[in-house]
Amino acid sequence: MFHKLWFNSFEALTFATVLHYQVILFLAVFVLFSKESYAQKCNLILRGKILHRENDNSIEAAYIWILETRTGAVSDQNGNFIIRDLCPGTYTITVQYLGHKEIRQTLNLTGSTTNQTFRMEEESLDLGGVEVHGHREAVQTTTAVTSLYGEALLQSRGESLGESLKRIAGVTTFSTGNTISKPVIHGMHSNRIMILNNGIRLEGQQWGAEHAPEIDPFLADEITVIKGAETVRYGPEAMGGVILVNPPSLPTSKKHSTEIHLLGASNGRMGNFAASHLGGSEKIKGLGYRLQGSVKRAGNVQSPDYIQANTGMSEYNFSGSVGYSSKKLGVEAYYSFFNTELGILRDAHTGNLSDLVNIIENGRPFTNADFTYKIDNPKQVVLHHLAKIKSHYHLNTDWKLNFQYGFQLNSRQEFDRRRGELNSRPSLDLELFTNTVDIFLDHKLKTNWSGSFGLNVIQQANSNIPGTGVTPLIPNYDMLNLGIYVIEKYLKGPLELEGGLRYDFRTFDAARFVSGELQEAELEYQNFSAFFGGLYHLSPHFAFTSNFGTAWRPPNVNELFSQGLHHGAAAVEIGDPTMVSENSLKWVNGLEYESEKILVELTAYANHIKNYIFLSPTGETFVSLRGTFNVYEYLQADAFFYGFDLSGSYTFSERINGYLKGSIIRAKNLDEGNYFPFIPSDRMDWGISIAFGKNSNPNSDRITIGNVLVAQQKREPDFDLAPAPPAYALFNLGYQKKLQLAENQLNIGVQINNVFNTEYKEYMNRFRYFTADMGRNILLKLNYQF
Amino acid sequence: MNNLQKLPIYLFAALALGFASCESNDPEEENDGEVITDVTLKFQELNSSGSPIGIITSFKASDPQGIEVGTSPTIQTINLTKGKTYRMSIEVYNSIEKEDITKEILEEADKHQFFFLGTAFSGNIMTITYDDQSGKRLGLSNKLVVSSSPGTNNAQMRVILRHDLDKNFPGASNPNFTNFVQAGGETDLDITFPVVIN
Repeated sequence: MFHKLWFNSFEALTFATVLHYQVILFLAVFVLFSKESYAQKCNLILRGKILHRENDNSIEAAYIWILETRTGAVSDQNGNFIIRDLCPGTYTITVQYLGHKEIRQTLNLTGSTTNQTFRMEEESLDLGGVEVHGHREAVQTTTAVTSLYGEALLQSRGESLGESLKRIAGVTTFSTGNTISKPVIHGMHSNRIMILNNGIRLEGQQWGAEHAPEIDPFLADEITVIKGAETVRYGPEAMGGVILVNPPSLPTSKKHSTEIHLLGASNGRMGNFAASHLGGSEKIKGLGYRLQGSVKRAGNVQSPDYIQANTGMSEYNFSGSVGYSSKKLGVEAYYSFFNTELGILRDAHTGNLSDLVNIIENGRPFTNADFTYKIDNPKQVVLHHLAKIKSHYHLNTDWKLNFQYGFQLNSRQEFDRRRGELNSRPSLDLELFTNTVDIFLDHKLKTNWSGSFGLNVIQQANSNIPGTGVTPLIPNYDMLNLGIYVIEKYLKGPLELEGGLRYDFRTFDAARFVSGELQEAELEYQNFSAFFGGLYHLSPHFAFTSNFGTAWRPPNVNELFSQGLHHGAAAVEIGDPTMVSENSLKWVNGLEYESEKILVELTAYANHIKNYIFLSPTGETFVSLRGTFNVYEYLQADAFFYGFDLSGSYTFSERINGYLKGSIIRAKNLDEGNYFPFIPSDRMDWGISIAFGKNSNPNSDRITIGNVLVAQQKREPDFDLAPAPPAYALFNLGYQKKLQLAENQLNIGVQINNVFNTEYKEYMNRFRYFTADMGRNILLKLNYQF
Repeated sequence: MNNLQKLPIYLFAALALGFASCESNDPEEENDGEVITDVTLKFQELNSSGSPIGIITSFKASDPQGIEVGTSPTIQTINLTKGKTYRMSIEVYNSIEKEDITKEILEEADKHQFFFLGTAFSGNIMTITYDDQSGKRLGLSNKLVVSSSPGTNNAQMRVILRHDLDKNFPGASNPNFTNFVQAGGETDLDITFPVVIN
């Protein structure tokens, strides 16, 4: 027995040895002849892209293996891979990635280059712990997209949405004092951009220059800015860009995490507290929830030489969501509540033109205020409720049906300084209801195609609450917008192509009383919009995007119907109900280079807008018993916006890192050959960060020194109340410390903005006529995750 | 799972509720409560001992539409006599709401004040002093002395009502305080009356 065994193994060994020699011989022969055969036919290339089936995010480090040739490749950070030197023939290809179903596919290679996209499905929900990709992209588009998340978002905590987004190149703010700021993308704001709160388009009274977006930045774990015209995907008005404010996705397995933010600021003695809790059910698999809330209180803001009277604010926000997801069905319910009270600089409220001229000449407020948290008139009290239900159902592996319904109620009260009992009554009291319904069918085929077909309904009702004692600025109205769209995307290796088409129809019925007379208007608008874009990965480090998109925006209610005095602004504004829709064509190009040391993102764009609506001074004045007022009217002209954004960073060493962000915008009135007002001037933010933690974890301690340079706006409109303020430079200092306490993490941040207490005025601040901007501000930020 | 099957019903119930609440209200007429449509300056002659003599003459500035584009106010010319002393009182009225604003100003005496500017108070034409019966410095009632030998018989009187000012601001006790803006607040009235002195 033993003998036999020995013999057998000996024989086997001999056989193996013989085989071994044969292989070497074969290889030698192969090497000798391979050069020739290579030149003949074995020069085929297989390129491809590996994506997540669920969200089309690229998968890095997936393993692609050809069984027959025993060659393989690993996908790069964009999900791309390349296998060279293949002979024509039929191959079996397997794609493997942790936690995902293996793909096994037969491919017949004939042509020179074969391009194949593989979409991988997650293995099963109960795996739970598969969180390999750190950051999910909020949207799949070939337009320029930039997101604020993780550490960058952490550093922006305590700021309003508008202020936070200034961290993205090409995004600035249009502000009214230091409490109200609206994001500006490529020179466009208000109704020309769109903000989505967890997928629902935020519908407040966004036409107003002094109406800040009604959203709590703390509800987001990621804020994304799309810089292209995205009307096809999101509906009318998304002309300049879209801002997506997205909460984290709900857990689908047992998991609990809590995050607490505690912030304080020296300027305005601001205090801000926020908490969120995320949980997954143990009993019901796939059930998860999130609760989140924040409180903010701040008093009068301090400019270097004086305190700005009545510039305090308070904010109370809450949001909650609960969701269930199984293999086929996903359901989510979400509710968010936003509540703010904002003080408006006392001296900015002027009675007539001579008041206005006097304060502009003075260059600073007349009132010498003390610090207080008290908010007096003029002020705004704004409430916003948003509720949504979202559901998706996988019809089969390729098709997914989505349904989303959103309900919003926006209540806005604006109080002016008034006589007697009227002082306690709002002079503007609006209630806006919005219903949105989205039904769309997504398909993600295993091969190169994906896309969606959708139907979108927006219904809106605006009412003035009677009893203000002021003729309403805008009428009561009902609006209905119906849209249908199709978007299709083609992926082939390093190339992505995307196109879409949409048709919208809108009706608008308005009614109001002016001097005892009932005025009614029924208006209709319709429009086609389309886009086409592409992305090409020149190499794993280098990508180029280009996107053409048309967009449209029907005139706003204020542009149509304004008629009378804009209280506090000493201006009479006249609308025009015969105005037509704006139509734009935006071309955005992006170049992205990412290597170990260098990161560069360059965006260049051109936007032509037909019938751009703007408020223009008539040069006339209007005399009343109250004094004289400037008269402005809404006009339409063709406009051309162009410019570029640059953002980049360079890693000098493991500990030293430099960054640079900048943007340049030009906006011309093509009809008149002059410039539009309130377009951001050229600006740049650059700095250096130095890590000085222990060698094992150098990033635990970091200092950042930043410098913001803003040029004077030299391209001013023909008429302005005051010339553009001079250029300014600000220095900012930050210190970040990360502490790992067992499983939990504590982040400590100290930030000093405007270190040298420089007095400056920002061109994009409407209150530059009345006051300097905020002086030095020291912030302390604590964040605890457990 | 039972609950999940009922989900479409809940969804549509919520939807129906949402759409039902979503219709705008009928517009209601809003009367401008704050607008001032009529400002009347009443002149009562005073004798050397300060007692009223003769009848009251009044001059009015009115704008029946309030602040409305396309209309402009009508302002009467004030006729006064050389060398005479007058009590000038001011009445402010909202004819749209039929409301006496004078009363409201009096009630908020600490937040309001009239200032009187224009050529009438430059040179040696006329002088004005606050003389409010209420004792509060408001300018609703004033003593006006017309010079017996004014250099001209045509002048202008600019009547300004300030709201929400700092009444203790240095200089604000002077009815002819030209830098009234520095005391803060905003203008409620700014009317320039032509004045003829005979």
